[in-house]
Amino acid sequence: MVAIRLSLNGEETCVDAPVTASLLEVLREGGLTGTKEGCRIGVCGLCSVLVDGLPVSSCLLLAPCAEGREVWTVEGLAAARPDLADRFAAVEAMQCGICTPGQVVMAAAAQEAGAGEPDAGYLDGNLCRCTGYSTILEALRGSGRADG
Amino acid sequence: MVDPEFLRPASVAEAIGMLAGGEATVMAGGTSVGLLIGQGLIEADCLVWLSGIEGMAAITPVPGALRIGAGATLRQVAAHPGVRAVAPAVAAAAGCVGNPRVRAVATVGGALVHADPRQDLPPALAACGAEAEIVGPRGSRRVAVSDLATGFLETVVAPDELLTAVDLPTAARSSSIYFRYTPGSVADFPTVAVAAAAVWSDDDRLVSLRLVLGGVASTPLVVPEAAQLAGADDPHARIADVAAAARTRSDPVSDRLGSAGYKREMAAVWAERALLACLAPPGTAGQLSGAG
Repeated sequence: MVAIRLSLNGEETCVDAPVTASLLEVLREGGLTGTKEGCRIGVCGLCSVLVDGLPVSSCLLLAPCAEGREVWTVEGLAAARPDLADRFAAVEAMQCGICTPGQVVMAAAAQEAGAGEPDAGYLDGNLCRCTGYSTILEALRGSGRADG
Repeated sequence: MVDPEFLRPASVAEAIGMLAGGEATVMAGGTSVGLLIGQGLIEADCLVWLSGIEGMAAITPVPGALRIGAGATLRQVAAHPGVRAVAPAVAAAAGCVGNPRVRAVATVGGALVHADPRQDLPPALAACGAEAEIVGPRGSRRVAVSDLATGFLETVVAPDELLTAVDLPTAARSSSIYFRYTPGSVADFPTVAVAAAAVWSDDDRLVSLRLVLGGVASTPLVVPEAAQLAGADDPHARIADVAAAARTRSDPVSDRLGSAGYKREMAAVWAERALLACLAPPGTAGQLSGAG
């Protein structure tokens, strides 16, 4: 086990975890189940979180590598930026919904990157099995405009 | 599995000390090590995490080169104006690995030392003439990126050594191109990857040309016949010969990315396209840069 100090959704936190635990496992075991487990190989995007403002697959990140970093999950982002979830709801950018948390995190990443039209590259590798990409893209672009 | 030790060196010297004995597993972004541990494919007694080393991720000009720290992420490399200017193929290769989440953490050093022959960055760095700096208990040494890999997942970097940086030469006039061919998903490894880089004289003569392929051998594949185009009266007339050499030298395996025969044919097709794209001097009509 290793003690990991990190900032989680804006609060300084210390968690004990096995060295080989992924950040995804630590988040979910800590009750933050908005971050979903999908492929576990960094491809599907369900487990996206922001680490120091950049989108990261939490399934690939060993938990100790979050030491000293600023981590935001979909729960923290949705609370801090209600416009994000509102945009997704407004254009009904979800069908089954399992990819939605990861898509919202990527919309937040697009906001973090600054003003201007977020490009579809932010959805590169966030898979929607229901193939509802056009409304997701609409929500993403709306998020960018709302912020910047 | 016993929980491994997790060590966080603050300097290269401290990290080298931790690698004594050669049993530790080095990691930075963790996209490969984290994946392999998660799948139970590797076990580690001791993980040495490099991301806490100050300056390891810096990209800085040095005399005659642009030095890319081994800890620089693919995202940094893809976006760096200096890399884009000096070696568009390297920026392009870094920018098409996986997805934005992978590029945010995966590092240059990891891509090189993990030595998966399907990776995008090593052929591009090799074609652009990059040199790696390797530090160990016996001091430091320099190895051309084209000579780093010795086999599938094997390199010349010893278990007690660290790859700390790569130097990209800043030739006055150069052109480079990177093509990756992925008939499946864009997020997949390339079936065939081709990097070509040329250096030009002030009067638009071809001074040197390198062609390096990925995905078609157990290491990045240098096609030495490309060098013969420098000094040739009409380099374009010899492109087909070099592409044929790329086909002959390829030794791919059949897998879900394509059969061996198919990969060999695609090696020739994409080598020809890359050479055509690369053989226009910078600033002239027809000059292409970046990726396709």
